[in-house]
Amino acid sequence: MRKFVDRPRYTCALGGALFTLRALERVIPIIHASAGCGFNLINATNAGAGYLGGGYCGGAAWSSTNVVEREVVFGGDDRLREQIRTTLEVMDGDLYVVVTGCMVDMIGDDVKAVASEFIEDDVPVLAIPTPSFKGNSYSGYDMILSGLFRGYVDRNAQSQPNTVNIIGLVPGQDVFYKGNLAEIKRLITKLGLRVNTFFGEGETLENLKNAAEASLNLVLSDVYGIQPAKDFEQIFSTPYLALPLPIGALQTKEFLLSVANALQINLDLVHRTIAEEEDRYYDYLERIADIYNDIDLQRYAVVVGDANYAPAVSRFLADELGYLPKLSVVTDFLNEAQQKAVAGRFDGYESGISPLVKFDVDTSSVKRYIGETWEPGRNERYYDSFSPAIIVGSVFERDLSAEFGMPLITLSYPTTNRIILNQTYAGYNGGLSLASDILTTLVAGR
Amino acid sequence: MNYLDTKTPPVREARLGAGIAFGGTCCELRSCEKRGGCLNLASRSFSQTQGCQFTLSLAILNTLRNAVIIMHGPIGCGACATGVVGTSKIYKQIRDPKAEGLIWLNTNLDEADVIGGGEDKLKEAIRYADREFRPETILIPVSCVPALIGDDVDAVVAEVSAEAAATLIPVHCAGFKTKVMATAYDDVYHGILRGLVKKPERPSDKKIVPDDLNDLKQRYLERKTVNILNVSSMSRPDEDELERLLNAIGLNVRFLPCYSDADDFKFALESSLNVSICGTHDDYFVEHLQTLYGIPFIIDTIPIGRRNTAKWLLRIAEHFDLTREAEKFIAAEDKLLDEALEQFRPSLEGKTAFLAGGEVRIIATAEILQDLGIEVIGFKGHHYDRFAEPVFGALVNVDDVVFDVATQQPFEQVNLVRRLKPDLFVGHTGGNNISAKQGIPLLPLFGPSYNYMGYSGVFEVARRIRRIMSNYQFNKKLAEHRPLPYKASWYEKDPFTYIKKEG
Repeated sequence: MRKFVDRPRYTCALGGALFTLRALERVIPIIHASAGCGFNLINATNAGAGYLGGGYCGGAAWSSTNVVEREVVFGGDDRLREQIRTTLEVMDGDLYVVVTGCMVDMIGDDVKAVASEFIEDDVPVLAIPTPSFKGNSYSGYDMILSGLFRGYVDRNAQSQPNTVNIIGLVPGQDVFYKGNLAEIKRLITKLGLRVNTFFGEGETLENLKNAAEASLNLVLSDVYGIQPAKDFEQIFSTPYLALPLPIGALQTKEFLLSVANALQINLDLVHRTIAEEEDRYYDYLERIADIYNDIDLQRYAVVVGDANYAPAVSRFLADELGYLPKLSVVTDFLNEAQQKAVAGRFDGYESGISPLVKFDVDTSSVKRYIGETWEPGRNERYYDSFSPAIIVGSVFERDLSAEFGMPLITLSYPTTNRIILNQTYAGYNGGLSLASDILTTLVAGR
Repeated sequence: MNYLDTKTPPVREARLGAGIAFGGTCCELRSCEKRGGCLNLASRSFSQTQGCQFTLSLAILNTLRNAVIIMHGPIGCGACATGVVGTSKIYKQIRDPKAEGLIWLNTNLDEADVIGGGEDKLKEAIRYADREFRPETILIPVSCVPALIGDDVDAVVAEVSAEAAATLIPVHCAGFKTKVMATAYDDVYHGILRGLVKKPERPSDKKIVPDDLNDLKQRYLERKTVNILNVSSMSRPDEDELERLLNAIGLNVRFLPCYSDADDFKFALESSLNVSICGTHDDYFVEHLQTLYGIPFIIDTIPIGRRNTAKWLLRIAEHFDLTREAEKFIAAEDKLLDEALEQFRPSLEGKTAFLAGGEVRIIATAEILQDLGIEVIGFKGHHYDRFAEPVFGALVNVDDVVFDVATQQPFEQVNLVRRLKPDLFVGHTGGNNISAKQGIPLLPLFGPSYNYMGYSGVFEVARRIRRIMSNYQFNKKLAEHRPLPYKASWYEKDPFTYIKKEG
């Protein structure tokens, strides 16, 4: 049984599902749920994900059955049937996906059966139940991906040796998902591979339809997308490889070498690519050699983020920026195996830095852990304080930032104080933007 | 009115015969409403997501100071609070610089709770909130899942109250119970009335020898004090303007419920009149205050637009026998406003506008547009009931103007807008990206930092409309490049095709 949460940094399975579908081109979700579910979720994730918006469907335009007491008592199948029929009349899409909210999951509506009545229609109608009492946004992403792999991906596609799928970045929860996918795709393409990310720039439903052409599923996470990758393997016998989201030169180099190793790519090409990228990377980073050292821009750091960002950001800070991340709080509900996998990503830093790693879903807990990692001052004459420091997290860390006087850099959900468009924090370009964004807050008054 | 012995207030479909689905002219709508409840059971065979009483109850709950909210439900319920996490703090600190930001917990009901009940988890969350944050008030909005599985939240509250320092206020607002999301206001007021409204204790109450002079002073103050029931969609500048109007005729003003703390609800009883801004928001509250504490109330129009403002002010003045003072003040204000608006008329006269949002607010805002010479050619209101009727009085020539009763439902709106081609769209937050993609300039219907109310509000709206209409390249360019998600055939159909007579 999962506990209550002090300011959750995610919405529900339906929320994750809707924003996963929002990230696909011309997909029309049909929400079978109470009237407020969709509207609540667009208002949450629009703002939380740096003003991501509702995309093609605009959020407020999401088709929704808006079930009330009558359907809850007598069943909502008829209402859903009517709503699918009318949605097909009014809304223009290439794929219609029925997703569900708690009330219809509790009364046991058979949404798959109702959706299957529309099989003769010109466009596909799928039903993917997303019961929100079974999980949060991240679970909703997994449910939708697994559902699409099972119900939409072409089973006759032939696996191609140089094609990979990339999953594991959850649209909306990863506030930078689209920019990140672009950067990862750019790098892997340089290795001579064909890449599907499904949610990336210029991709369409065709990329998803042909997903079985891939010979490997790359999961950029130890947690998210793992279950869909396993389901994919079961259906199409395609193996998967889980690698951490790479930020900066060091992590991206390891990432590219792992990909090359898994797909037996010519190592000369890989090393040439890395050398070329590193040269470009350090050409930019070199610019701040003066200011970094002139005014001592090294900082202690606290990192708060999900299972993808917390390890990647901590390591980037320690091993590339030369910072001292003393505390890293991972804010997801994780099982023991997942915690172990994520905790392992904090081991073996080249810098020798070893942050205190905590797994905790409650926003108020972060403050307590700062006290645990650094002896609080007791008004001593000489006190070696936790300063100067920065905090990298979400807007929920704003009060903490004010209280401790640590500048805040927001990059994890919710990030309501930034407008995020095509920015990336992944790969080489991501390392440069993260360095730039952090140091910008430190020189903002100059 | 007294529903306080029941656990939950009646839904507005039942209490007010409110409706959420109608398409026709203003004239048809008004006569339909006068015949009583003919809108009542209508719904749609195609619908879009529209908000619920849980999410709308947060519009007030998120503003209350020194309070922690416990969203009792699965993890997504109340997630929209994320969107106001920054602004809530800023606006609370206008009232109290030391005010905390928005803090909420979610009880995260899961599969095991759906079977075994969520009461234990709620107790745990209340204890944590009480210990960790030491708030004055813990507000507990109850969502669909615990309502369906039958969690006895009132019993949990009664049990934990004994050990908690905070006052616990349950708010029963399960989304699936009503189609009229404005029922949310009744749910919130129900909780406030049952838990926070009580006579304040004053040191003078405890004196053995009566202090006549002090009592007289107190009564004099009360006689000159009115409560204005503010709404979360109004701004501090709006409040300043309304306060100015009432101060001008010699009255003192208190604002509640938004941005109040627990004590404000007690001291609110020390006043001689409750004045509504908007019947949709607060009829339940003021009716109860009259029944329980004998405080009279006024529900008439909303003070947006000069005629509405004058009517609103005169109703209050009449109550205090200050009509002559108010009339003099209004005449002076009118003259000043006329002079100030002159500069806007040439560029705005003859333009057309469509308004969408809360029914009371859009009808009132239309008065400002008509005042400026803009022709109002369409309305879309969240729902419809008798509280809209008095607001129509300030408008001219709207009998044949189309009125769509729809909570959100942007598909009907885009169809209407495509037909009517307004020069300006005035819209409620939440679906404005959709109107933006129709390439028209857009004035938000409300905004928590802008002034819309009173005389200064007319001027502010006028100057913003001119500014917004003078360059809307952003929306124009968007419309050229990003399509709306509707089939071409939809625009050929009657916009009200999917309204059906019965639920």
